[in-house]
Amino acid sequence: MDKQLDLLQGTLDMLILKAVSLGPLHGYGVLLRIRQISKDSLEIQQGSLYPALYRLEHQGWISSEWGESENKRKAKFYRLTAAGKRRLNTEAAKWNRMADVISGILGTTPEEV
Amino acid sequence: MRLLSRLQSWLRAAFGRARLEDEMDAELRFHLENFAEDLVRTDVPRAEALRRARLEFGALERAKEECREQRGVRLLETLLQDLRYGVRSLRKNPGFTAVAVLTLALGIGSTAAVFSVVNAVLLKPLPYPEPARIVTPWWAWPVNDMGDEFPWGQRDFFAFRRQARTFQSLGAFKSDSFILTGSGDPLRLDGIRASAGFFLALGVQPLFGRTFDQEEEEPGHELEVVVSHQLWLDRFGGDPGVLGRSINLNGFSYSIIGVMPDGFVFPRGEEMPFILGFPRQAQLWVPLPTPLNPAGPQDLAVVGRLKNGASAAQAFAELQVFGKGVEAQYPQAVGYYTPVLKPLVSQITGDTRRPLLLLLGAVAVVLLVACSNVANLLLARSLLRNKEFTLRGALGASRGRLLRQLLVENLVLALGGGLLGTLLAWAGVHFAKTFGPSNLPRLQEVNLDLRVFFFVLVAAIATGILFGLPPAFAATRESLVESLRERSQAAGYSARLRNSLLVSQVALALVLVVAAGLLVRTFYSLLATDAGFNPTRVFTFQLTLPSGKYSDVDVMARLYHNVLQHLQSTPGVQHVGFASTVPLGGAPDGTAIRIPDHPVTSAKDAAPFANYLFATPGYFAAVGTPLLRGRDFTDSDTQDSAHVTIITTTMAQKYWPGQDPIGKQVGVGAVRWPLRTIVGIVADTKHASLSEKSSPEMYVPYTQNEIKVWPSMQTMQVALRTTQEPASLLSLIRQALNSVDPDLPLAKPATLASLVDDSVVQPRFSMLLLASFGAIALLLASIGMYGVISYSVARRTREVGIRMALGAAPLQVLRMVLGQGARLVGVGLAIGLLASFGVSRLMTSFLYGVRATDPLTYASVCLLLTFVVLLACYLPARRATRVDPTIALREE
Repeated sequence: MDKQLDLLQGTLDMLILKAVSLGPLHGYGVLLRIRQISKDSLEIQQGSLYPALYRLEHQGWISSEWGESENKRKAKFYRLTAAGKRRLNTEAAKWNRMADVISGILGTTPEEV
Repeated sequence: MRLLSRLQSWLRAAFGRARLEDEMDAELRFHLENFAEDLVRTDVPRAEALRRARLEFGALERAKEECREQRGVRLLETLLQDLRYGVRSLRKNPGFTAVAVLTLALGIGSTAAVFSVVNAVLLKPLPYPEPARIVTPWWAWPVNDMGDEFPWGQRDFFAFRRQARTFQSLGAFKSDSFILTGSGDPLRLDGIRASAGFFLALGVQPLFGRTFDQEEEEPGHELEVVVSHQLWLDRFGGDPGVLGRSINLNGFSYSIIGVMPDGFVFPRGEEMPFILGFPRQAQLWVPLPTPLNPAGPQDLAVVGRLKNGASAAQAFAELQVFGKGVEAQYPQAVGYYTPVLKPLVSQITGDTRRPLLLLLGAVAVVLLVACSNVANLLLARSLLRNKEFTLRGALGASRGRLLRQLLVENLVLALGGGLLGTLLAWAGVHFAKTFGPSNLPRLQEVNLDLRVFFFVLVAAIATGILFGLPPAFAATRESLVESLRERSQAAGYSARLRNSLLVSQVALALVLVVAAGLLVRTFYSLLATDAGFNPTRVFTFQLTLPSGKYSDVDVMARLYHNVLQHLQSTPGVQHVGFASTVPLGGAPDGTAIRIPDHPVTSAKDAAPFANYLFATPGYFAAVGTPLLRGRDFTDSDTQDSAHVTIITTTMAQKYWPGQDPIGKQVGVGAVRWPLRTIVGIVADTKHASLSEKSSPEMYVPYTQNEIKVWPSMQTMQVALRTTQEPASLLSLIRQALNSVDPDLPLAKPATLASLVDDSVVQPRFSMLLLASFGAIALLLASIGMYGVISYSVARRTREVGIRMALGAAPLQVLRMVLGQGARLVGVGLAIGLLASFGVSRLMTSFLYGVRATDPLTYASVCLLLTFVVLLACYLPARRATRVDPTIALREE
């Protein structure tokens, strides 16, 4: 099996919300943060990162403002809004429930049926 | 919240596009540079690092496009793109665009013009505060078929006002004429006598000064006058110092206490029952005289303002209780006190609602024909653009995308039509104001306000979708493969659509032209109607006596006798006479009568009834009313001689059917008044309009007015039959009046012929409007037919070529093409005839002298329509016969 996992459809949004929930980040920072907390086991298509950011901003879950990056350059920083926080919570709860159900199904032994 | 942020990002997308693009570029550049720097830190050479960063990022432009899409930029952008493309493609076809925009402008413009009239007359609120609370109470007429606006008596009004609980204010009013003397020629003014409460009920404030603003009459205010804005400008030069000035009216000195604002002329004659004789425009208001004759005539109109929170139903119930009380007190009044309560707005718009709605319906049909015509044009055009659509489809445009682009294009057309239509509507409204019937209430208030603009916008968008959608579906329907095959048969759907549009145009045009035809017939039967008089060279005017000087009817009669003699000796005058009202000079007074031959039954329908007019000897000769039997009045008919009357044919037939009424007796109302002997029978004359149904009428010598208080002899209408052009006699007539009494005004001079003309202004206006709508519809249908047949001839060139090559004669080809047109016309006529039968039934009340199913009208309209439309077919058909087979076959 590959070292890196393909991203499940629809999970990118949730991951971005989680990443910016730990503190404001610019786009590249979001990429690095996800890599870091997944210990490099998730690879995000860079081309789809920005459309996702724009989508989340359009929906009002994150907001953006221009600021200065760690290497003193102008960069666009994203932060989680209150609505985004609620969204992240419901998404995470849904995800966890789904994961429980699926792992329960996969863990079923013939004796249990 | 989320909605707000989405809106913000849309707005930003729409208006800050350049900035957003810059920001997006900067953000992505930052990403790539940081990525590259991180690589450099792992000892990758800088150039290589940048290349790898780009590579790993993937397709940059695609990412950008996806970003834009996420922000909602795309929708607006493609819309703008469609708009630009649509405008460009319309500009490339100026001929098509001009025809389509003009057609739509005709439809939308005429609809908007009619709508603006409807808006002003029926939809705009009245210019009074809280108009919904203002009502006009009446009594139902005791005689059937006489309407539901029987006026109030003074006793009843004041009794009701004292006890009314549901009304905040109640005012009674009646018309009166006043003679202004003291400066220049005596001037006759139309005025209103109004009780206290009249202005309060309406809620109007004077421009300055005050009105009679108490709830109850107070002594000491009888000689006060409020003047209209117009009179203030005309007679007093707009002088603000006019308050407190004294003017002489009817020989009494009145003091001016207020000036009304511009536009306040309540009540207008056309808003009130004919019988009360209200002037077209009131010029002044004076208090109703008190103390009042308790048993005075029933000649008061009443306007009331309901108490806040009181409903019309409660007020009606209160009136009912009051009426029951009166009937209990006066047994002879039983049946006369059924209340009628009208909101002021329906009192004012009255009978104009139906004709206006008829016009609105007619003009909507014109709009439909215009839409269907443009739809046909578009259909033909979209077939020509088939290849374009096929190509765009092949390049990946979805059907929805193509539909949207076509709709945007059509909306551009429709809005163009709407814009031009607004100009047309403006011109139309101007035209209507200048030439329209002056008795259409509130006509001068008509203008293009916001509501009309909104209407145009909605009409334009609705028509854009209505005419645009079917052809757009047809255009995008054909599949790629079929379109690429030359001369596909997939055009079947389009052809069916085109034919049904055409059939509907013919049918709609037929309905309109039939309606117009019926109105034309109505108009001419009005003119041809036997009105009972001869208007050639007859001059009329109204003579009003100053009531201060001439208060007694015997004094009045002596004066009238003097005037009569002076006018008779004026050179150029053949016959002269006067009556309470000349033909078409207004509705006469009516009264219950008693006939000894017919004992009165208790049923109120059976109570005999007749109009009651005074007349002088020679009056019938002056207006040319034939004296059918018996004799005219003479100077020897006086108070002292036997009392006589002349009755009309209708009265003779109604009350003495099959008998000779000469020598029979008839009396007015109650038993007090002596019976009169019938000495003559004259033809019926029309008094209020040419279309009125003749009612029984009796004429009484002006010298035998024994009732004295009723009807008023203060105003008489004079008729002079002259030997020359009547207008040239005006100064001689004025001189004759002056020599009798310099205070006598000559009011409303007119020829009898012009009174006839004025009375048909409204039917003529409706007829002309409907006829022009019919003509537009007919023109559009012919253009449509021409287009369809031309197109089909063009498509069948090859077929025609083959037929001719095989020996078909040009005549056969002509017959083939015309036959196609004739089939469509036939179906259209059949449907249109059915619709006309239904629609014309709604028109019955507008018709006079012609039945709604008049076969002559239907037949001639069908013939006209067939002729015009087949003419439109003939031109392309002739072109078909000129097809050269060799060229036609070589084509393609």
